[in-house]
Amino acid sequence: MKREDIGIGVGLLILSTWLFWYVGRYAEKTIYIYGPQFFPKILAILMVILGLALIVNALLGNSLKMGNRIDPKGFVRMLISIGICIGYLFLITILGFATATFVFLFVLMTFLKQKGIFIRLFSSMTTAVLVWAIFRYFLIIPLPEGLLF
Amino acid sequence: MQFDLLLAAFGKVMLDPVNFLFVFIGVTAGIIVGALPGLTATMGVALLIPFTYGIDPVRGLLMLLGIFSGGIYGGSISATLLGIPGTPSAAATVLDGHPMAKKGLAGKAIGMATIASFFGGTLGALIMTFFSPLVAKMALRFGPPEFFALAFFGLGIIITVSGKSILKGLIAGIFGLMITMIGFDPLSGVPRLTFGSTELLGGINFIPALIGLFGYSQVFEGIEKILILPSVKSELKNIIPKLKELKGVLRTMIKSALIGTFIGAVPGTGCDIAAFVSYGEARRSSKHPEKFGTGILEGVAAPETGNNAATGGAMIPMLTLGVPGDAVTAVLMGALTIHNFQPGPLLFRDHPEVVYPIFAGMIVAQFVMLWVGLGGARFFAKIINLDRRIMTPIIFLLCVVGSYAMRFSFFDVGVSLIIGIIAYFMNYYGFPSSPILLALILGPMVEQNLRRSLIISHGDPLIFITRPISAAFIIIGIFIMITSYVRVKKAMDLEGQMASVVEKEKVA
Repeated sequence: MKREDIGIGVGLLILSTWLFWYVGRYAEKTIYIYGPQFFPKILAILMVILGLALIVNALLGNSLKMGNRIDPKGFVRMLISIGICIGYLFLITILGFATATFVFLFVLMTFLKQKGIFIRLFSSMTTAVLVWAIFRYFLIIPLPEGLLF
Repeated sequence: MQFDLLLAAFGKVMLDPVNFLFVFIGVTAGIIVGALPGLTATMGVALLIPFTYGIDPVRGLLMLLGIFSGGIYGGSISATLLGIPGTPSAAATVLDGHPMAKKGLAGKAIGMATIASFFGGTLGALIMTFFSPLVAKMALRFGPPEFFALAFFGLGIIITVSGKSILKGLIAGIFGLMITMIGFDPLSGVPRLTFGSTELLGGINFIPALIGLFGYSQVFEGIEKILILPSVKSELKNIIPKLKELKGVLRTMIKSALIGTFIGAVPGTGCDIAAFVSYGEARRSSKHPEKFGTGILEGVAAPETGNNAATGGAMIPMLTLGVPGDAVTAVLMGALTIHNFQPGPLLFRDHPEVVYPIFAGMIVAQFVMLWVGLGGARFFAKIINLDRRIMTPIIFLLCVVGSYAMRFSFFDVGVSLIIGIIAYFMNYYGFPSSPILLALILGPMVEQNLRRSLIISHGDPLIFITRPISAAFIIIGIFIMITSYVRVKKAMDLEGQMASVVEKEKVA
């Protein structure tokens, strides 16, 4: 994991340097010596030290071995699932929570290749109604409403 | 200890059917979550916190305590039946539980695990009940330097939860502290790192961050791998061990319960370490250590007693000092905070109506766990066979709803998703998530008390050393960091040596 560690270490150095500079503007907004910039600057310094340590550790060959690598097909599957979730969030405001949730669950289960359309329909519907009912009638927490419910 | 309040709390938990129902729901949900590999008690508590928003805080806490106790026990079911621990704390149970299942003694193994968990959990809860008020009384004398030192001590635990790379654990911890910088500065009110966004003025909300770290990241990993688990084929027979068999393991259970409670009370060690230490001690002191690992009752009793005893132990520093004993109690701290109860010594003084039901609830949860565990063992064994392609989308939904319900905000859902994606990548590159959780909990405490202390002392940092309690926490914190570093280093060196021995044998 040498290359990855060096890349992450460089990223941390950039992040910390930027943070140290950015929080400097808060010093003028308060009379406190130990004002809003104090603790972020300490953290930025600590992160610079740790980032450098990570890079040096990697260059010395002490990086941990990579465990399981990310499966490319699985990663794409994950990204598409996130896309389905984002679509679900838009759909909630149009259709309402319960209906959108049923659609989301059914689509996601189908995408994950769950066999048995009746099981998918039953599971999606039951879960959507159950969660909606618990929040609406038991916890009395409002969920987004839309054209349907 | 106010015994009248304790008795009243028992009455409230046991005699009010709604309160008892919440404990029952929590324990059952916890056992299911614990039994399913890939889901942890931490995740179960995190996902169900939103379900406590609209109900009485005590009832919500009773449910979460039930999930905690049930979740730690539930891991033993898949550990025994599949050889895969349902939770990290059940990893030691695999060593003898699964061999017992292979011999056709799965029922007895699960029965033993249930009884051992009950025994350990009850003893741990009793020690928590009687010891916590003493610690809280001492902690009432704390000022800002003591609270800073305590938080420093708590952050030192990051090393113990860092896994194989302490450096990456520290980086994760500092990253978590940086996240706590977002929002209004607690002392001056200046908005920090909000970039003009009104949603960020309140900072990153704890529950969406928690769901991102432990909920979404697990869901994403589950979708990426679509884990196919072996199904359970064996029938569970003769679940309750014979009285003679229970008498044979009683001494082990007592020792494991005390070990587990003590280890749980040390912040950062957790139920998994308690389980392994209890198992190791049982084997070391056994007349037949060679039998451990072949499938014996003692090999199941020791870790299961230890890990559930640690649940009571872990509650002690969380309730009395506001420092979590492990990841689950860190989440429980968040639950208390959401309901406007700040864990720490003042909780005992100002809100005994919350503290004593927690004591009673933990003890009652053990009895409910015994009843549900023994009665529902065959049912829980079938739960393991649930299709992941159905479970994963449902958990995904619970993550969305959980992160939305806190402030009815889609912004929180977005933040939670982003943190989940970051945590997913972090796990692959060896950065643990638990240090971020600890930092989110302790970060505000560290910053506020550090700055207050320096203002009181006019900038003199020696204030942390000249006050004895503060100095003691800092010294103990440094001691724990050093011993943990040495322990991790030894384990890594041993792993390296064993790997090279295996390589040499292959070549030969």
